[in-house]
Amino acid sequence: MSQFWKAWQKRKEAIQTQTLNQHANKSMESVSDVTLTPDLKENLSLIEHQLGKCDDLVVRRFRIKTGEDAAIIFLDGMVDRNVISDYIIRYMTTPGITYEDPATNELESTDRLRQVVRNILSGTAVLIIDGKRKAFLNNTRGWERRGVEEPQTESVVRGPRDGFCETLCVNAALVRFRLKDPNLRVRHLVVGQRTQTDIYVMYIEGLAHPPLVEEILQRIEKINVDSILESGYIEQMIQDRRWSPFPQIQNTERPDKVVANLLEGKIAILVDGTPFGLIAPALFSQFYQSPEDYYERFYIATLIRLIRIISITIALLLPSLYISFSAFHPEMIPSRLVIAMAAGRSTVPFPSLVEAMFMEVAIEILREASVRLPGPIGPTIGIVGALVVGEAAVTAGLVSPVMVIIVAVTTIGSFASPSYSAAIAIRMLRFPVMILAGMFGLYGIMLFLIVILVHLSSIKSFGVPYMSPLSPLNMKGMLDLFVRAPHHLLKTRPTMFHVHDEVRMREDDKP
Amino acid sequence: MSKQDVSSRQQTFSLWQQTSLITSTLIGVGVLTLPRTTSNILFEAGWMSPLFGSVVAFLSIWMIATLSRRFPGMTFIEYSPIIWGSKKWPQLGKWLSLPWILSFLLYMYASTAIVSRIFGEVVVTSVLLDTPLEVVIISMFLLAFILCLHDLEVVARVNELLFPMILFPVLFIALASFQKAEWNNMLPLLRVPGKSLIQGAYESFYSFSGFEIMLIFFAYAHENKSKVRAGFYGIAIAMVVYTLIVVAGIVVFGYEELQRVAWPTLELVKTTQVPGLILERLESAFLAVWVAAVFTTVANAYYAVVYGLRQLFNKGIVFQRILSAILFIPLFYIALWPQNIVDIFRVSSYLGLVSLSLNIGVPFLYLFLIFARGLGRSQKERKADG
Repeated sequence: MSQFWKAWQKRKEAIQTQTLNQHANKSMESVSDVTLTPDLKENLSLIEHQLGKCDDLVVRRFRIKTGEDAAIIFLDGMVDRNVISDYIIRYMTTPGITYEDPATNELESTDRLRQVVRNILSGTAVLIIDGKRKAFLNNTRGWERRGVEEPQTESVVRGPRDGFCETLCVNAALVRFRLKDPNLRVRHLVVGQRTQTDIYVMYIEGLAHPPLVEEILQRIEKINVDSILESGYIEQMIQDRRWSPFPQIQNTERPDKVVANLLEGKIAILVDGTPFGLIAPALFSQFYQSPEDYYERFYIATLIRLIRIISITIALLLPSLYISFSAFHPEMIPSRLVIAMAAGRSTVPFPSLVEAMFMEVAIEILREASVRLPGPIGPTIGIVGALVVGEAAVTAGLVSPVMVIIVAVTTIGSFASPSYSAAIAIRMLRFPVMILAGMFGLYGIMLFLIVILVHLSSIKSFGVPYMSPLSPLNMKGMLDLFVRAPHHLLKTRPTMFHVHDEVRMREDDKP
Repeated sequence: MSKQDVSSRQQTFSLWQQTSLITSTLIGVGVLTLPRTTSNILFEAGWMSPLFGSVVAFLSIWMIATLSRRFPGMTFIEYSPIIWGSKKWPQLGKWLSLPWILSFLLYMYASTAIVSRIFGEVVVTSVLLDTPLEVVIISMFLLAFILCLHDLEVVARVNELLFPMILFPVLFIALASFQKAEWNNMLPLLRVPGKSLIQGAYESFYSFSGFEIMLIFFAYAHENKSKVRAGFYGIAIAMVVYTLIVVAGIVVFGYEELQRVAWPTLELVKTTQVPGLILERLESAFLAVWVAAVFTTVANAYYAVVYGLRQLFNKGIVFQRILSAILFIPLFYIALWPQNIVDIFRVSSYLGLVSLSLNIGVPFLYLFLIFARGLGRSQKERKADG
């Protein structure tokens, strides 16, 4: 009976490992999956044959203390050379040491050629000893990496200054360092047939809705693509509505944001090779909420949220409001102002739509150029472009002075959103509204807003309505939507993510 | 759409969503003319007309809600054959219920056309003077079409989002115009005979119609008990808004002057001043925001029609999408049928008569049939947990 049980267990394990490796192995199909031979030379030629003419492949042969020939194989630049020379070669060759295996902190062995090749490619030093049918995989990964720096796109005044970097394990550690919860789960996936990119899916067991976790894992596993170079690939491949301009998965460079979202029952996806982690499901509130809101006192946090909402509205609507006021409804502007505006516009030969389009496109060009320009020149060009060109355009009578103000305020407004990718959605939608405003005035703006609202109401990010908790209305959620209520009122987690443990703060913890 | 929904359970409408569905469907173009039509009969006491009208509307929605409570999870289209038919001849029920279903759908269809026509007239005469009427009507239809592309729950969520956008401007206008109020215009409080009161209630009833969409949408209510409450809240909110607007119209203009303006509410907006003079005249802004109110009226009714037909033919969402595109063509011609604004008002008062008889008559007939045939009780017990 017990034998049968053991056989059953073995079979189950085999199936499990098979299904686990099935996906990861896909890109490795070109590598023939043979077992290693006891002969060292034959093994080496097998590996060298698979990797072709790789001049950065280092093969160091030596003789170990017991007399057998051995070789260590690794890719130059991807390993820590000190570890190899001190703890593998010296350790294995010094006669006094009786212990057989190399002294590296992570040591596995395999007899499959495919696994050997994959490990070499990811920075493992592989030790092969003559007469043994297996290879030792030493974790010696250690390439040049950027350190933990302050995030570039999401800076805060108050809050931690560290941001993610390009190395997955460091990023995961940054999250773990803040969240010492034994229930934090990290699932490892490999996506991309050629790039073999490592992906961590992180969630807190007992908080995250299990079907949600399953859904995300499934969607990532379904990705069948040759390369994942940035988390944006994953984001665009697993989102619900592919044609929507709105980001349905949040991205962030900040580990504290990831932790805060994990604690709301959301799921984080970290991708190797990029400092941008993903958070799903994402809601519309990502457009104006920042982790900083919870660090500052709630009055100022609420006020700043309102400011952000206003600035997003400005970024979306101000140019089109100008167009519709000046072209369709001049009676709405106070009479003194309308005289001043008319005086400014009297030299402008174009209709206000053309004028606004001209300036908005110009400012987009400036913006894009100042991102691409080398560091010290960028701000200079910004000043030259904005001040000199703007001033000259007004003097030349190409645009009216009010238009310059409007373009400037619009651009600044779009920077107030704490999420860059959310802000670009707004930036982009500005242009269709301008065209509709040029056609129908305020009526056109409203038509567009209703279309956008219908679209927003129809989006679901992993089953969570995008506009929640505003619609479907959830009064508890309203405490943390436009306002940021004081912490003692936010005792429960938001309910829309189907969290399993709702309590964030217990009653008796009141200060 | 291979991706599956994580929360697979059917999304249902909460009490708040039902309320906003009802109120935002009710509040539409009716508000723009309400002060004139009510004070036409009741003179200074015009503001009583929405109060009495709401009683009738509430009676009707109570019957609709009761019907829906007897058949939880079923729309009017689904339970009609049960009420009319018997187990022996299921086909008979289908055919017997057809006239009632079709008359409701036709009525909603026609009122969609008239509402968008009226709104088009307002926009063209007061804001977009050079824009052809057809363009405004078509743009309204396009919005409704976009809504029809989506699922039922999207309708509820859109209404929920737009609800404050509908309520605040009209409340603001009503309250802000009290600055110029001449309260003596309200006196004497009552000098008309009781018969006129009933007539006045009838006048305002058309601005309350629109709740008949709940014949379909009540089927997706979150809980069976909330239906009557939702109907009551929805109509009560509309009643407050209407009464305020009529009071504002009467106290600002007086009833004689009200008879001489085509769009009294729009005139009210013109007299309103924003403190601080940020914007000088508000009617363009008001009409722009009012697009939302008209959109919810037109699109909800149109959605109900298309959804009803979809259920009648037992088809899926693709059918609904295609049908909503096709049905716009006749709708456009119906909208352009009335020759001028006098014609439109006449047609809309006919529609008011139709709406009164349908909304009171048919639910009453259905309830009577249920009691006569003893259908309700067994249904109620079966779904007692719902």
